[in-house]
Amino acid sequence: MTGSRRNNKKRFLHVFLLVLPLLLFVISLGIGSYQVSPRDLVRTFFSTISPSSYPDIPPVYRDVLFRIRLPRLLLAMAVGAALSVAGASLQALFKNPLVNEYILGISSGSAFGAALSLVFLGRSFPPQAAAFLFAILAVLAVLLVAGRGESTSLISLLLTGVIVSAFFSALLSLVEFFASPYVLQALFFWLMGSLSLAGWKDLAISLPLVGVGLAILLLYRWRMNVLSMSDEEAKALGVNVRRGKILVIFMATLVTASSTAVVGIIGWVGLIVPHLVRLMMGADNRLVIPLSAATGASFLLVADGITRVVSPLEIPIGIFTSIIGIPLFIVLLKKAKRVWL
Amino acid sequence: MSIRIEDLTFGYKNFLLRVDKLGFLSGRITSIVGPNGAGKTTLLKCIGAILPIKKGMLFIDGKDIALLKSHERARLISYVPQEHGSAFNYLVLDFVLMGRAAYVPLFSVPSKEDVHIAEEALEFVGLGNFAERTYAELSSGERRLVLIARALAQQSDILLLDEPTTFLDPKHERGILDLVRKLALEKEKTILFTLHNLEMAIQYSDDMVFMKGGEVAASGKAAEVFQEPLLEAVYEMEMKVIEWNGRKIVLR
Repeated sequence: MTGSRRNNKKRFLHVFLLVLPLLLFVISLGIGSYQVSPRDLVRTFFSTISPSSYPDIPPVYRDVLFRIRLPRLLLAMAVGAALSVAGASLQALFKNPLVNEYILGISSGSAFGAALSLVFLGRSFPPQAAAFLFAILAVLAVLLVAGRGESTSLISLLLTGVIVSAFFSALLSLVEFFASPYVLQALFFWLMGSLSLAGWKDLAISLPLVGVGLAILLLYRWRMNVLSMSDEEAKALGVNVRRGKILVIFMATLVTASSTAVVGIIGWVGLIVPHLVRLMMGADNRLVIPLSAATGASFLLVADGITRVVSPLEIPIGIFTSIIGIPLFIVLLKKAKRVWL
Repeated sequence: MSIRIEDLTFGYKNFLLRVDKLGFLSGRITSIVGPNGAGKTTLLKCIGAILPIKKGMLFIDGKDIALLKSHERARLISYVPQEHGSAFNYLVLDFVLMGRAAYVPLFSVPSKEDVHIAEEALEFVGLGNFAERTYAELSSGERRLVLIARALAQQSDILLLDEPTTFLDPKHERGILDLVRKLALEKEKTILFTLHNLEMAIQYSDDMVFMKGGEVAASGKAAEVFQEPLLEAVYEMEMKVIEWNGRKIVLR
């Protein structure tokens, strides 16, 4: 009885979480400093198909919709999904719900890589390549220093993550030192995490990379349940643990680096979103992974909407997510203390 | 399925496991006993190929285990670890379903058939009504049963259990061992387990292996090897075996 009621509630939540990002996407199209009514937005959309039928739509509406809002919202959704799924996957892999891409040095590694690429190779060279390379280096460094063994405790991961992040921050400062004042200013905003710089050109590279990585992690979702057991158990259950680890770390790093290369560091999403999803739906990664993708997309759409509405200056979204994420992390850390430290 | 060990060695920093020749017969229950640090669990993990083994050390029905892929091996041998907590609070059914990992394709999820097998395994260990509960809310004894159900869902002929009864009260200890016996009789499993309780070991096993200092001290039919001099030598203390109603009791 109670079981079936619980299942009904779960089914409803499941559908709701999946539909939510689409709903928010449509709403967000109407939000921004340039006021366009929902009706006009719909008509703007159709006016691209047959411009002659909608003579009253000013061309600036098309610019707002297609050159500014659409890429921005698509990017918000892709990045939200990418960071959340990466977070959930790494948490399963490290058998610890507090691990995230920030702690593992993936964020700082990819930020350094992208900055390096922007300053020395210019804006025409895609920064995703260097971002991925250095993100992988960072996470390997963390794993190597923290010890790859079964007993890798959260505290040693945290400490190593701090050290590796500090190292890449120092390297980043060095890059900034060599950057011209004009590039430096752009770098500065980008590092705080911002969706406002995005255009179709950035999307054209990052979206496919994020798409491929997400698809693979999604397909692999049930195996992550098994990988979240101890390595010995996973092995006894017939999983090739080494291959599983390499696959998940590579894909999680790929989607995070592809995101970071375009929007900068938007931290803590990978911690907040999977945690919320697990609270609602339980621990099974068959649900947690796809719903983290959907909820992550929703989360960034909302966060982006708020930052655009609250102030005309647009607070960088990375600051916003950190202000929510860090207190939550502290609460979880307190709760988890007896288990993992 | 029968297990054959030949010149098996495995070393940690201050410990070396060495087994020259040892066999386990199909469909029988074997208990591995010995003092702490004798290498019981290490031996069990080597047989399960959880610890790295080299070619030519371990054969199942003549097949070299070291040459098998992970999922091929897991279809032959399953391993029940000691009770543990998990960072993630899975539903009991999801937990047991993990036993199907060796059958589910790499980029896929368990089928209806897999779910059915997991439910049957839960039913077999007597937890048919527990599917929708979470692992964290279970008692210690119930968790052991869930771990056994997971190994059962693996549908292997060989079942290894690492101290399946530690920390359990006498009633639950007996419950688990009765279940182990039922698995051997009804499902014709070849079963190996490590145990500290000698009286339970002699009562529930067909064969016994005594270990000491990383080596096999004695092995054979339980009734034949279970003798006072051997016990005293293995545990390095005075022991007395008395018989009561056909059962062996160890005084120490």
